[in-house]
Amino acid sequence: MVLEIQNVSKNFGGIHALKDVSFSIKEGEIYGLIGPNGAGKTTMFNLITNIFEPSSGEIIFNNEAITGIKSHKITEKGICRTYQNIRLFSQMSALKNVMVGGHSRTSSGVFGSVFRTKAQKKEETLLTQKAEELLELVGLIEHKDTIAENLAYGQQRRLEIARALASNPKLLLLDEPAAGMNEKETDSLYDLIKMIQSKGITVLIIEHDMPLVMKLCDRITVLNFGEKLAEGTPTEIQNNEAVIEAYLGKEEEEEIA
Amino acid sequence: MFDFINPYYLQIGSFVLINILLAISVYVPLSSGQLSLGSAGFMAIGAYTSALLTINFDIPLVFGIIAGACVAGILGIIIGIPSLRLTGVFLAIATLGLGEVIRVIFVNWESLTKGSIGLTGVPQIGRELLNFVRGFGFEPSSIGLKNNQFVFLMVFLLLLIIVIATIWFVARQQNSRVGRSFSSIQMDEKAAESMGVNITYYKVLAFAQGAFIAGLAGALFAHVMGYISPSDFAYHKAVEVLIYTVFGGSEVIIGSIFGAIFLTLMPEVLRFISEYRYIIYGILLVILMAVRPQGLIDIHLLSRFKRVKRSKGGVR
Repeated sequence: MVLEIQNVSKNFGGIHALKDVSFSIKEGEIYGLIGPNGAGKTTMFNLITNIFEPSSGEIIFNNEAITGIKSHKITEKGICRTYQNIRLFSQMSALKNVMVGGHSRTSSGVFGSVFRTKAQKKEETLLTQKAEELLELVGLIEHKDTIAENLAYGQQRRLEIARALASNPKLLLLDEPAAGMNEKETDSLYDLIKMIQSKGITVLIIEHDMPLVMKLCDRITVLNFGEKLAEGTPTEIQNNEAVIEAYLGKEEEEEIA
Repeated sequence: MFDFINPYYLQIGSFVLINILLAISVYVPLSSGQLSLGSAGFMAIGAYTSALLTINFDIPLVFGIIAGACVAGILGIIIGIPSLRLTGVFLAIATLGLGEVIRVIFVNWESLTKGSIGLTGVPQIGRELLNFVRGFGFEPSSIGLKNNQFVFLMVFLLLLIIVIATIWFVARQQNSRVGRSFSSIQMDEKAAESMGVNITYYKVLAFAQGAFIAGLAGALFAHVMGYISPSDFAYHKAVEVLIYTVFGGSEVIIGSIFGAIFLTLMPEVLRFISEYRYIIYGILLVILMAVRPQGLIDIHLLSRFKRVKRSKGGVR
């Protein structure tokens, strides 16, 4: 198992954002996290990357408890994420954004930076190369010098993915990557995520675009009001009574009769 | 011969250079998103440390100045860590308060600092340099310079070297992994952290570097003037230094440098209308803030400038 979520709960004051949620993700799979708005999906991401600490429960990554470890250390261990509301470094070029993503895989400090030591130069060349490859992968290589905020919306989403990939993650967390994309963009996003999977990276994805989720994911967990409603393959989820109820509402039989 | 080497101009030039250092000391923390108004305080620490060491213990000037900068830098680390919880205006107010606290300590610790009267007889760089070259049997008159011309010229050149080295350091750092981390924190702290940037380390690093540079500027100031008092490092100094950076443009280091040069020279150039010069100074600032709140020089201006240069190169 790459990631194991064990009985995780999170309370904000009196509000239970997550209640006793457990699931685990196998290596190399694309795992979906779906549910109505406010179900606690993004909270789960924030717990995994330790923006918040869980109120109770454990999060295990590669057989190691990562609960309570600082965010930047978690990135070093191999988990990286994107954000639902894009959070690029808006005044930096696309290339530099991706290079910041490679921060945890590089090491030169003040001395190396100022005196341009051999190791620093080599590292910088390799990092630039890798960043360019990633921009190529997400189809943004011709925009590498464009300032991030001047990119189109769909391009910004793809740049965020490239930036996250620069940290060499074993597990990539995507928070609604298809939000605001048109059909064509969504299709190319599908290809991109499949390609990421083929590189041996495990993907955990939050998404509202159901056709995409059903096509993409190997397994899915459904959250509703902070609780786990169901888990299974896309087919199982589509036929699950409780899920249909949560999404479409319960049929009021008396009224019909 | 060499009459154009005018001590008055050289003195102003030296002040310009010290002010450039101070502007950079604001720029560096700001490049990581921290607005620090502690420059005057750190400057005071650097000045008093170096002055007291050289007066009381006869330490060579070089070591005094380095010690002054280092003490300010270390204080920067000590202050930087708790200040991490503060951002924006709150950090600005806290650091401004810090500067005042330092000043008040220097005013009241009379046994050490002679209070508000200040320290006199601080060894001067110029004289030390003159004695130094005389030790080799060199006389300024042998190259047609008067003694005081030589002194002011040497001070100016020494400061110029230090300033160039500092700019070189900061510019190189800016265009590297460390500089990218600074700007990523400035643009989005949370995103930077989730990209693996240790924001605690880099914020304290930037803050301490700013403190170090301000301390260096303060130590140099003490040994250029030969006299320091707490009022040299009062609240208005902190604001003045901030204005250099804000006026010139806080996004790029050239902005800070330009601001320091322009705003130090302007009151001198306008000396012939001495009564009105600070009015003009004030009006200029108001107009600038209304028209160009990001400062005179910003990234877009620089990139346009670069493009023009490149297209000219293409024609050739």
